[in-house]
Amino acid sequence: MLVNRKLILAHFWLAFVVFGLALCLGAWQMFVRSPLYTWISNPEWYYRSLTAHGTVMGYVFPTLVAMGFGYAITESALQQRLVGVRWAWAGFWLIVIGAIMAMVPVALGRASVLYTFYPPLIGNAFYYIGVVLVVVGSWIWVALMSINLRVWRRAHPGEPVPLAMFANVAGSYLWAWTAVGAALELLLQIIPVALGLKTTIDAGLARVFFSWTLHAIVYFWLIPTYIAYYTIVPRAIGGRLYSDTMARLSFILFLVVAMPIGIHHTFADPQVGAGFKFIHSTFTALVALPTLLTVFTICASVEIAARLRGGRGALGWIRALPWQNPIMLAVAFSFVMLGFGGAGGLINMSYQLDTTIHNTQWITGHFHLIFGGAIVIMYFAIAYDLWPHLTGRALPNLALARTQLWLWFIGMIVTTFPWHWVGILGMPRRMAYYDYSNPAIAPEALYVSLSAFGALILLISGLLFLFILARAHAQPATEAGEYRFSMPVHPVRSVPLALNSFGIWVALMIGLTVTNYGYPILMLAARQDTSVPAVYVGAQ
Amino acid sequence: MSARELFTFRNTYFSIGVGVAAGVFALAAITGFVLLPRLQPELKYADLWDAFCSAAGLPRRSVSSGEIPKSPHRLSEAVLTPTTLARPTQESIGRGATLAQRCAICHGPTGISRADSPNLAGQYASVIYKELLDFRSGARTNAVMSPFAANLSDQDIKDLAAYYAYLPRLPAYHPQEQLPRPRVVIYGAPMRGIAPCGSCHGSLDNKAGSPWLEGQSEAYLKAQLQAFAAGQRTNDISQQMRNVARALTSQEIDQAAAYYASQPPDIIKTTD
Amino acid sequence: MTAEDAHDDATIVRTERRWATISVVIIVVLILLAAFAGIHQATMPQGRVETIDPTRLHLSGEFVESNLGTANEADGTVTVRAIGQQYSFTPACILVPVDTPIKLRATSADVVHGILIQGTNVNTMLVPGYVSEQFMRFEKTGDHLMPCQEFCSFGHEGMWGKVRVIDKAEFASRAKNGGRLSCVGE
Repeated sequence: MLVNRKLILAHFWLAFVVFGLALCLGAWQMFVRSPLYTWISNPEWYYRSLTAHGTVMGYVFPTLVAMGFGYAITESALQQRLVGVRWAWAGFWLIVIGAIMAMVPVALGRASVLYTFYPPLIGNAFYYIGVVLVVVGSWIWVALMSINLRVWRRAHPGEPVPLAMFANVAGSYLWAWTAVGAALELLLQIIPVALGLKTTIDAGLARVFFSWTLHAIVYFWLIPTYIAYYTIVPRAIGGRLYSDTMARLSFILFLVVAMPIGIHHTFADPQVGAGFKFIHSTFTALVALPTLLTVFTICASVEIAARLRGGRGALGWIRALPWQNPIMLAVAFSFVMLGFGGAGGLINMSYQLDTTIHNTQWITGHFHLIFGGAIVIMYFAIAYDLWPHLTGRALPNLALARTQLWLWFIGMIVTTFPWHWVGILGMPRRMAYYDYSNPAIAPEALYVSLSAFGALILLISGLLFLFILARAHAQPATEAGEYRFSMPVHPVRSVPLALNSFGIWVALMIGLTVTNYGYPILMLAARQDTSVPAVYVGAQ
Repeated sequence: MSARELFTFRNTYFSIGVGVAAGVFALAAITGFVLLPRLQPELKYADLWDAFCSAAGLPRRSVSSGEIPKSPHRLSEAVLTPTTLARPTQESIGRGATLAQRCAICHGPTGISRADSPNLAGQYASVIYKELLDFRSGARTNAVMSPFAANLSDQDIKDLAAYYAYLPRLPAYHPQEQLPRPRVVIYGAPMRGIAPCGSCHGSLDNKAGSPWLEGQSEAYLKAQLQAFAAGQRTNDISQQMRNVARALTSQEIDQAAAYYASQPPDIIKTTD
Repeated sequence: MTAEDAHDDATIVRTERRWATISVVIIVVLILLAAFAGIHQATMPQGRVETIDPTRLHLSGEFVESNLGTANEADGTVTVRAIGQQYSFTPACILVPVDTPIKLRATSADVVHGILIQGTNVNTMLVPGYVSEQFMRFEKTGDHLMPCQEFCSFGHEGMWGKVRVIDKAEFASRAKNGGRLSCVGE
């Protein structure tokens, strides 16, 4: 039962429109820094575009998708009207205002500091305040998810929380806690300096705070994708979910270990002790566990669908899958990209291998493959799956949707594989141009051009996606029926209390944050002599 | 649902969850804090406690060991931050105006030189401040300028900096037709370690202590670039300008000097 | 055939348990690999956290201009001291001997920079306020590019240094005159 369709559509549409804009910037960046274009005459434009691209793609777009999807899940999985609709709209408008407030100084070139902030570089205060508003808007959503679950629990005492909602709330708690790192950095460190109340800042401490957010944010982006794997894919392709318990365990594991591992982003930093780096490296390995479990469960679920359709043989069943179905296509592409991206991630998390590729183009290749590839392609699938229920109109043309997904997959591979390779060659990140005529880096030119070509394919695919969604609104009205999630092979009758609630897991998440981050943060925060003068970019 | 049911070691999920988390932490901590530091011969820890604190990341003030060679030249002792002299008082500007009368012979009564001395009107305060400190200390020398700077007090230097920064930016006396921007000014030369000039010198961004250059005398700019390149001028802190000037070709030096001399001062970003 | 028939509860639990075990084994192997590499190859991140005032590097201490570059140590190793600043490294060209244990000590004078020596595993952040330290050793003579790998404002794309690895004998003969060595201006 989807009652507040307007609210959900507003979130999705805003998400995809800003995604489209940021995608244009990304494609432009890939082009201007490639050998296909002469060097850009003002490098600041490049960094300005990069700041906008990163801020929108990292903070605004996935947050809106998670929120819109979360509201849809609340109403359809819990079968109850969303409680707190006004607050939900308030959260939405806070994000709109925050995004505009952040993007105006960026557009004016007053905050070209990149979305990772990295003080002591300091941009215009409104940029940071805008980002804070976006986060505050999303925290309203977190509160609403928790409240709606509580309301449902009161009406259904002891019943198992539907998997989609369980995962959704886990994701919202994960986000609430993981955003605290960047929020502390912004509120305690950066904004006072940006407002001119202070002129010095501890750059090392800021990087530790940011790592608290920067890694787990990826899992926040990932949760809607995983929800789709577990609760949309099996139903959409006519199968069953292999196991509800395994799914719950995966989301619980994400909640517990996604966050206290962020220091692996600072392996090469001088302000964190080697012991804590090792601890974070170890816990980072644990976060592979829920993904491995997910891969298994989803493959098993997909196999069930294939066998129900008459598929046979050890691998022959793969041919029996409904490949005409965009959701099937999307999940297959997503898994391939998750596989490659995950393998790359294993390299980043071990600090021996990390030194080879730290802060090279490998890293950008890696997170584009994971986020832009494996995760975003499932955002597309979610939209395709939900759209008929939100608009009351069928999608215009499934072939077009399949083309779009194919293009995104091909585009992402063509973009990111060469990107990884030039990273291994040692190409540094975030430069407005490179002198490819120099023999030392000339071998990179071909691969960078390939990447730029891939970006063009991605741009076409992204615009096609927006076109399909927009066209759907003009289709004749049909009754899409009730929005459902996949059923497990065996209906869930009861779930142990521990797997039906979050108490233990949130406590563990916070506890591990204290053990893994407490000392590194406190020892730097306690010192007076580590603050350095702020450097205001693009002096106004 | 009650917390008492959940948070008890009778609950398998609780005991496994806490047990695994604590176990992994303990193992990782023993390996990271005790085992691995002992295996790094280069680090020479004093004792186990030192190794443990180091692995935890206890910050310690860096102390330099070993002999430090003396520099053959006197180097700049100025300490600059991006907010150095950011907000001068009216009194300071006024005192600076009085002091500046003796500078007018070379630098012009409005801060615009008729000779090949630098124009100072509207220059960043931190630049005037730093160069005067360096002339006074001998880190930068000039037959005419050094005696003038020798007797300035710290306050005099700040006042002069505030005054010149306060003056309006005027076009120079040697305007030429505006030349097109040479490659080296726009792009620098990445592989030679040269960033675009404007990323420090004001048109893109300002690095503390770097002057804006538009409308300065061509001869002056060229002489300074050559002096930096040859190591005759060494008051740029930690070689920040020598690194660039050394990598420039003499043709690029000519082009950059001619270009900046021909520019009006209207694209400069102000600090703060 | 229905899904329920093919997969009774017990089968599901058994299969899952097997897969979970495999996953845990994979992860334990990964952690052990990291620990092994740390122990066996002594590839650990920097051992100490040291702080320093980035605005006064040029006044006193080990990062004064005359001490930047490569120094011979009594024990046959060399120490390279360098700083990163907007938008260059000093020394802009680092000179080191081949087959010699090298300690690199570096810091930033202003914003966050990074040192990446291409074709090697030398890769560290320079965070103002802290000293970075890395150990390295070059097996072959030759030149390496050394770009700054972290965004350090609008001139970042122009911040490329160099490392030149030379023959031990040649290095020794150049070191005779004392002072700190670099390949700046060559």
